Amino acid sequence: MKIIVDAMGGDNAPEAIVRGGVLAAKQFGEDIVLVGQEERVRAILRADGAEGIPHLSIVHAPDVVDMHDDPATVLRKKPGSSMAAALKMVQRGEGDAIVSAGSTGALLAGATLFCKRIKGIRRGALAPVMPCAGGQVLLVDAGANTECTAEYLLQFAFMGSLYLRKLMGVDRPRVGLVNNGSEDTKGDALRLEAYRLLREAGEAGRLNFVGNVEGRDVPLGACDVAVCDGFAGNVMLKTIEGTAKFLSSELKQVFLRSAGTKLGYLLVKRGLDDFRSLFDQDKIGGAPFLGIAHPVIKAHGSSNETAAMNAVRQAIEFCRSGLIEEITANMEYMTIGEK
Amino acid sequence: MFEKLCSILAEQFGVGPETIKPETTFVEDLGADSLDLVELMMSIEEEFDIGEISEQDAAKIKTVSDVMELLGEDA
Repeated sequence: MKIIVDAMGGDNAPEAIVRGGVLAAKQFGEDIVLVGQEERVRAILRADGAEGIPHLSIVHAPDVVDMHDDPATVLRKKPGSSMAAALKMVQRGEGDAIVSAGSTGALLAGATLFCKRIKGIRRGALAPVMPCAGGQVLLVDAGANTECTAEYLLQFAFMGSLYLRKLMGVDRPRVGLVNNGSEDTKGDALRLEAYRLLREAGEAGRLNFVGNVEGRDVPLGACDVAVCDGFAGNVMLKTIEGTAKFLSSELKQVFLRSAGTKLGYLLVKRGLDDFRSLFDQDKIGGAPFLGIAHPVIKAHGSSNETAAMNAVRQAIEFCRSGLIEEITANMEYMTIGEK
Repeated sequence: MFEKLCSILAEQFGVGPETIKPETTFVEDLGADSLDLVELMMSIEEEFDIGEISEQDAAKIKTVSDVMELLGEDA
């Protein structure tokens, strides 16, 4: 197996990404290809004494995708960028999966343009895993598609459900439709139509549809797959991230208030560390881009070397899972014919 | 050529090829977004083997007949 890593993407690139690639090559025993400005990549490897280690190679790409570049067109305008070069390697069959911490929009556009969607899938969707009461929840779509049809949402539900089954061992993932109320009459035209399609898939035994879920119910563990359009998904994801940071900082202030509270902190520190680790994005690595004909992992923009290594781990697991074949095999249940 | 283009559009936008007319617009009628348009240009380049369509030419393309014109055949 060969995992292609965009070495120049992300806030801490190329250092953190190169070091994450080194850790992955040592730990997972699969081939890792670092795509980026060769001299810079090589200098980092040299400084770390990691030149020439097994399973690690470099492919030179002179250019870098900038966060200000237009996502839809940048990879055609910058064919020499590390992201474009990495995607094209996967397209040509020179790699099995791509990992990038670079511009989300550019990666999503590039994956669609170069790696192509699975035949029958209308749109690819970003699917991060978030912690919730009782475990984890997969949010599909977290921002790739601001405008969706009911058919897109049906496909997100199937892809999310299959992802959890194949990669995370969840037997019958509970699929919820994110809505502004739990009753089946709630929502706009899109949500009402999506509800109908999801209910039908549930009644046919193809999905474990648990109905509408409100935003507050998602972190409380109401479902395993939270289905929504990319606009709502992105707002929800960022709101949850912000709320977690706010609560964490408020909690810190409480413990700093007096000598007594500081002493109390020492007594509960281990529990708090466990709590904090629930939100540790570095352990997860990244989010899969579902619906593309090859595994694509979007690592967090601020990925450090641990996060980059774990994003590679995720890509390896994705490759081994057979998820793309499983999505293809279920295609007839997730298309509603021509418009 | 028109039939081939219709089949590309049908595949990409999930519509019946018979619903596509020369005056069909990509954004209004087929609901294309900016990524769809780039994807369409790339499919046309590949399927008709015409090299890269410039940004200026791409910006002028609004309807199916605009593509036919670009390909050198009047719709």
